Amino acid sequence: MGDKPKGNPSASDRPLDPLEAWRNMRDATLDAWSKAMIEAVNTEAYAGTTGAMLDASLSASAPIREALQKSMAQALQMLNLPSRADFESLAGRITNLEMHLDDIDAKLDGLRQPPHTNAKAPKRKPKPR
Amino acid sequence: MTGFQSALDFGQMEERLRRLTTALTTRAAIAQTPKQLIWTLNKARLYRYLPVVPAEKRHRVPLLLVFALMNRPDILDLRPGHSFVEFMVNRGFDVYLLDWGCPGLEDRDLKFDDYTLEYMPRAIRKLKVISESQEFSLLGWCIGAILTTSYAALRPDDGLRNLILLTAPLDFSNKDAITFAKWTDPRYFDVEKILAAFGNMPPEMIEYGAKALKPVENYIGNYIRLWDNLDNPQIVEAWHAMHTWVTDNIPMAGATFRQLIVDLYQNNRLMQGTWELRGECVDVRRIRASLLTVIAEGDHITPACQSESIHRMAGSGDKELFRSPGGHIGIMAGSGASTQTWPRIDAWLGKRSA
Repeated sequence: MGDKPKGNPSASDRPLDPLEAWRNMRDATLDAWSKAMIEAVNTEAYAGTTGAMLDASLSASAPIREALQKSMAQALQMLNLPSRADFESLAGRITNLEMHLDDIDAKLDGLRQPPHTNAKAPKRKPKPR
Repeated sequence: MTGFQSALDFGQMEERLRRLTTALTTRAAIAQTPKQLIWTLNKARLYRYLPVVPAEKRHRVPLLLVFALMNRPDILDLRPGHSFVEFMVNRGFDVYLLDWGCPGLEDRDLKFDDYTLEYMPRAIRKLKVISESQEFSLLGWCIGAILTTSYAALRPDDGLRNLILLTAPLDFSNKDAITFAKWTDPRYFDVEKILAAFGNMPPEMIEYGAKALKPVENYIGNYIRLWDNLDNPQIVEAWHAMHTWVTDNIPMAGATFRQLIVDLYQNNRLMQGTWELRGECVDVRRIRASLLTVIAEGDHITPACQSESIHRMAGSGDKELFRSPGGHIGIMAGSGASTQTWPRIDAWLGKRSA
């Protein structure tokens, strides 16, 4: 979010502000801190540390997650309720159906409109009766 | 009244507090340009923005916008009076938006292959029918630029006339300049472990990654800027809209994220010419569409070096490179976007859309 519109009013438009000096100091401090942090995160050490932390948290939570998934699947099965896998399978089938419908739509569009027309489709003359 | 006196004005304090609460706790009305849904597949949606220019004065070649996979495309239409979509519609373009939607766990196997060679061709077919034009222009932003570049290389004869790439992360060879490349180095980053845990790449992790590139600015400076400008409703409104968009991230399909990290960030397969989608090699030298590459000079997410080489390697005869001041998002949604980037895109594309 470093690209937000800034748009501070110009110095001449602003009323006299005794806190301005404090604000300028604050901004200068933040600026220096920001530059230092940008450099810090762009290092191998930061990448290694965050990677190790992420790895450790994922490893620690994996057994709990697996146990929860197993027990949830068993509970849903006992209650005759569909599981996540059932819904996923259903979603895949619906998407396949959507694709078939899209193929049919393409064929219908092909019948309605002559292919490879760069200009607008010419209006058909009514057949003489 | 001095700034100190104004700080003690209780009526003004109440108004400031109200603005602050609104900006921090509510969602701004974004993506307001009228549009019509014309095609859907799974979570993907193709919209056509309702034209405001009479058909005879409109540009003949329609424009399709393709945004990244892990953010909502609303940033292209942020708020009335400050919207790229609105600007282009007013300039006489027939504008379409491909919204990828929010993938669920059932979509974790979706890959770049599917987005590029299943979803995009179908959406483009529908665009051609609706616009009654066999030619079209593509604008890809961020990951959307990977998708549009791949499409342009794999389907150069499909009627693609103009290709606009915004802050395109295509070349991953200069690892020193790309912070994300360091973080996703295989020595430190185990993509399989993340996907085994979550299925898809969680939006919270994506948001953290984007913000951590500039931690002080994003976690502190951003809120100080709001506080300092609470007396200025226009700035608060702009901040609110941007905050609404920034905090509304979506997950990235697991298989796509794996390709992004392993194939691109770690092995730079696209620029090496070894990236295959559904068995077809993505060879950027096959791109023939007119090409405009827009680089953000202050981009921390996609440094300039990631977008420069496509300009040299693409097979297009008509190529232009434009460097815009601003950051990854700022060049299209910042305060200077409407006077710098948008008119440049309009001028370039207008000449090539007759």
